[in-house]
Amino acid sequence: MNNLILLVVLPLITAFLLPVIDRFSTLAARWSGPLVLLITTFIGASAWLQLGTGAVSLELGGFRPPLGIVLYVDQLALLFAIAVSFGTLLLWPYGNRGGLRQQTLTLLLAGSGSGLALSGDLFNIYVFYELVAVVSYGLAVSLRTPAAFAAAIRYLIISGFGAALSLAGIALIYDATGTLNLAQLAQLAPEKLNDLQGLSAFVLLLIGIGVKAELFPVNTWVPEIYATAPKRVSALLAGLVSKLAVVVILRLLVLIFPQPEAHTLLLVLGILGVLTGELAAWRARDLPRVLAYSSIGQLGIVFIAFSVPGEAGVFAGLAMALHHLLIKPALFLLAERWDGSLAGLTGAAKASPLGAALFVLFSLSLLGIPPLPGFWAKLLVLTSLAQMGAALYYTGAVVIMLGMVLEANYLFRIIARMYQKAPSTGTPPGHGRLDLAISSMLGAGLIAAVFLLAPLADRLQGIAAQTVDVNQYIEAVNPVPTRNPI
Amino acid sequence: MRQYNSMRRLTSLLFLAGLGLLLAAILQRLNFGQPPMIVGDAINAAAPAQVGAANLVTSVVLAYRGFDTLLELTILFTAATAAGLALGREPGDRLADPEAGPIVRAGADLFFPLLLVVGLYIIFHGHLTPGGGFQGGVILAAAFFMPQLARPASRLEHRMTTLIEGLAGATFILIGLLALFEGEAFLTPLLGVGTLGTLLSAGTLPMLYLAVGLKVGAELAGLLASLAEMGAEE
Repeated sequence: MNNLILLVVLPLITAFLLPVIDRFSTLAARWSGPLVLLITTFIGASAWLQLGTGAVSLELGGFRPPLGIVLYVDQLALLFAIAVSFGTLLLWPYGNRGGLRQQTLTLLLAGSGSGLALSGDLFNIYVFYELVAVVSYGLAVSLRTPAAFAAAIRYLIISGFGAALSLAGIALIYDATGTLNLAQLAQLAPEKLNDLQGLSAFVLLLIGIGVKAELFPVNTWVPEIYATAPKRVSALLAGLVSKLAVVVILRLLVLIFPQPEAHTLLLVLGILGVLTGELAAWRARDLPRVLAYSSIGQLGIVFIAFSVPGEAGVFAGLAMALHHLLIKPALFLLAERWDGSLAGLTGAAKASPLGAALFVLFSLSLLGIPPLPGFWAKLLVLTSLAQMGAALYYTGAVVIMLGMVLEANYLFRIIARMYQKAPSTGTPPGHGRLDLAISSMLGAGLIAAVFLLAPLADRLQGIAAQTVDVNQYIEAVNPVPTRNPI
Repeated sequence: MRQYNSMRRLTSLLFLAGLGLLLAAILQRLNFGQPPMIVGDAINAAAPAQVGAANLVTSVVLAYRGFDTLLELTILFTAATAAGLALGREPGDRLADPEAGPIVRAGADLFFPLLLVVGLYIIFHGHLTPGGGFQGGVILAAAFFMPQLARPASRLEHRMTTLIEGLAGATFILIGLLALFEGEAFLTPLLGVGTLGTLLSAGTLPMLYLAVGLKVGAELAGLLASLAEMGAEE
């Protein structure tokens, strides 16, 4: 277990050394990134087999918490850390179009993303979050078009603003409790953060971290970045990075802010996210923007699910998040050659039959057609909302269904266009072989999930139960009792 | 369109006013001066014996929260890489600015060794006195950048800075990994604490600071030089 730190550190050290390696051998530099990601995926997977349903904490520097920084490893954290390693391996810039620097940044994203999932210290989470942010500014401009620069500047300003807000939130928490260790905060929260100051800290942190999680008022950067960045980068940001921010928000919600007001706020912002996202996607005129707005809507559903307190909400929200983690990167890969106006997609099925078929598969699952996994995820959300029995939660359910109607409309419109006869002006281009291979793989995973639904659901329910178990978190980290210096 | 813009300005203004009000209200409620110093007090009491650095700030920066420092270093590296990606091509040949006058040139020559000494002194005494890798590193960067201002034609060796940068960063992580091979946690200080207040104390902390200093220095010098070369090309 101790070697799990390698998930963070190996990609970092390789990124530092990449320019040096490149001096000696370009070939070695080109393949060391994927190799390291393969190794970290393997380390993560073997730790997953060892971990079972337990949880451990790693004390960095050998200092007992709360003095030192800890990494907290449970199924949720490890699952997302593995997803980061494996996801960046799949979406690695193999074609080497961005050159050495893009590879360096992708490695840094892998290291910092794993760290964000594993960290058990509030300020350490902030530093990881900043690192992920700076990496994504760089990746977003890797095509160096004027539009990409304009989008990245806007992203930088919104994201910097969010980081400042979350730092203020952390300061409020530190002022009230005197500690930054999440386990100790979980111990102190019922007494010290269950007031207006605690709630304002939550609002600041939610808005700040919500920038990456595409939360409603701070997501205006999303469509431009996803449309102008290389589609592999969009796939990484929409698929992985947004989910990491979601995991951080979930942890804070479960451990530190179980107040009902926090849940209500999350519900309202989630509802607004679904409404604005789906409406904007319905009006969007090119495929990357449709996908970007729909991603805002999907993450809105995740937040609505998390607003249901207890295991049921976490279970439903995680199902939605993992489903989106699987299909959105695949859709962005398909959009690589299909950007530009939607009208240009007429007859695309003829040029790329497999690509169009995959697009249909992912769209149906995104929409929630049984028996695809997307249906079960949405069903879980809706039933958990119905069980709450309050007007606002019913509103959430109604909005989700309204969103599905809009989704059905715009997705079927695109599919119908793809299967029309191609215009005489020429067919839209087919797909790159690698893009198609990776999205086929993700599609195969999606279909496999249909057959393995029962065991997967059981495992996911176990993860949700562990995530809401605050006592296990505190016991695993076991912060030294306060006041008395060691 | 204009109406839309003024609308947008108005909403931004309202938003800012609301946020300001919220923050002011929160500030009113904070009781400054009596924070609960759970971690702070514990570290103050334990650090000299546990870490052995006379500068308590250093024991926090490199020992208790050394992992954060590694990440801060990485952020700096990432920012430099991202800036390189945004600026694009490696700076090519260019028409150099004319040389500066004799006073600036002589001054630069005189200052170079002085700055080098001050920078290294601050890095090596980081665990004893205020200062350390970040501050010393910036002074080193200034030392290498100043000759460039005096003689724009002489180029900073990019090859060298990337080499130092990469190796220094890797050294920081390798020192951390050494502890892992010893069976300890990542970044555990090794080599014992030594005598408090002497130059050779606090175990591996001075080595970590040397790595930080070299990395920060090389990074900033490289970044300044490529920005200057970019500017000259326009």
